[in-house]
Amino acid sequence: MSIISVDGLRKTYGDLVAVDNISFQARKGEILGILGPNGSGKTTTLKSILGLITFDSGSITVKDVNVQKSRTRAVGHMGAILEGARNIYWYLSPKENLIYFAGIKGYSRRSVTSRIDRLLTELGLDDVRDKEVREFSSGMKQKTALACALVHDPEILLLDEPTLGLDVETSSSVRGMLRSLVKDRGKTILITSHDMSFVESVCDRVLIIREGSIVSHETITSLRQKFANKIYLLELRGPVGEDFRGRMTDDFGGVIEQSASGEVTVNLRLDAPMQLLDVLSMVREHGITLEDIRVVESSLEDIFLDLIGKIWE
Amino acid sequence: MGIVSLLAAETRMTLWSMKRYMFNTVSMVVVMYVIFIGMFWGVKSIAGENMQAGSLDSMVVGYVLWMSAMFALQGTGGIVLEESQRGTLEQLYLSPLGSELIFLSKAILATLFNFFFITVLLYLAMLTTGRYHSVNLPYFYGMLLMSLLSLNGIGFMMGGIGLIHKRVNAVYGIISFGMIGLMLLPVYPFTTYSLLPFLAGARTINAQITGEATFPAWWYLYIAANSIFYLAVGILVFRLFEKRARKLNKLGQY
Repeated sequence: MSIISVDGLRKTYGDLVAVDNISFQARKGEILGILGPNGSGKTTTLKSILGLITFDSGSITVKDVNVQKSRTRAVGHMGAILEGARNIYWYLSPKENLIYFAGIKGYSRRSVTSRIDRLLTELGLDDVRDKEVREFSSGMKQKTALACALVHDPEILLLDEPTLGLDVETSSSVRGMLRSLVKDRGKTILITSHDMSFVESVCDRVLIIREGSIVSHETITSLRQKFANKIYLLELRGPVGEDFRGRMTDDFGGVIEQSASGEVTVNLRLDAPMQLLDVLSMVREHGITLEDIRVVESSLEDIFLDLIGKIWE
Repeated sequence: MGIVSLLAAETRMTLWSMKRYMFNTVSMVVVMYVIFIGMFWGVKSIAGENMQAGSLDSMVVGYVLWMSAMFALQGTGGIVLEESQRGTLEQLYLSPLGSELIFLSKAILATLFNFFFITVLLYLAMLTTGRYHSVNLPYFYGMLLMSLLSLNGIGFMMGGIGLIHKRVNAVYGIISFGMIGLMLLPVYPFTTYSLLPFLAGARTINAQITGEATFPAWWYLYIAANSIFYLAVGILVFRLFEKRARKLNKLGQY
């Protein structure tokens, strides 16, 4: 069942087309990742869903509520983190932030007391509930922002770069929290991120956007099935001459690395597994010994780079 | 129920902010008082013994009213600017109660909280000048709130401009000092100047405290209408700028 429906969304700023005829749906109880290079239209899409940006054409409905016609009704179903930890009041404590954000969303302090206690405990903020947020690490601030986005118990959560500036441990803890929000409480989450491993591990489906248009819209599994290449790592020993190097590079697109101790590794991305036989016979022809061969699945980052067609930095 | 929760949240927020920034809160009153003393001594040294009691009374009340006007003008514009700088502005727009209601609550509550400082300042000023008047506080607060709504309207306009242009401090400076001159203009009986925001209310409060004059009922109705008019126009202008800010994706930017 779709809970967010974006249909033919288009947004321009003067001559610049930020989002060009994007359509997709988010289903209840899933995590949808939106990936794309800087300026590809990810945040514009997210803000359009929240009604923070008016778009030129198309329509967006959130739980069957048209965002452009009834923005305030639609936002009642959503919580968001848009500028990371800047979205909260640093001179207040996490508890005060939560009480305030619940209040401006129309919830009395009494009606959210138990929810606030639960959120503070679940996010590991219980011990610091009365300390000023400005004293916190980036991870703690981000957790406070997440708690604030959840204080009115929205069905939908929109997170713009939720792991930006977080260390590996905190990022992993955020990942766990998001999975649990979907699994245990049936929330729907939309995430934009540059953190490929985060997206790969947390999202059910991924939308890849380039220059305002959708390049791919698949589940992580089908994205792998459709686009993933197998990478073969060959470890060689013997006389690796210029002729061998040239053929390996030109014919098979291989990348050769040679360590200081003389060990040679060939990194091959082959379109068809049968090509591996040709590579192996060439290795034999040149009198080189094959020490080891390993097969590596390409990561979401590799697939993303292939689809986007540019080097990710 | 939602509005009650909103007002409660904004009241708590104001108290938390005052507590966190206690030094700033106290120093604000001290600075206001020091400016008044400077003004009083300046006027006294020029006028000497010729200074009339009535002028002194008007100066005391006029200064307090001017300060109230400054607070009200800063209202929504100042809030938009502050929230924008912090990065919390967009979160306010995610309230199902609507941004206007949030900003209006913030502005009115700020005005009400400022009444405390204004009252302290009024009594300190009367003590300094030795011109003590028995002030009918309910009348004073009621009239002040009603009159200041018109400046809240101007504050909304400034807030709208602030959504797009972010820095509007220069305009505040001009309005603030312009207000001193405007408050000296004759507005009663009805003149063209009476059409301007706040002036009719300010003149009435001043005259009532200093015991200069009394006013007919229609005059009070006019002050209320003047305030409602400017507040409505202010909200309308704010909406137009807000619409533009959402079109240009300016809400989250500073």
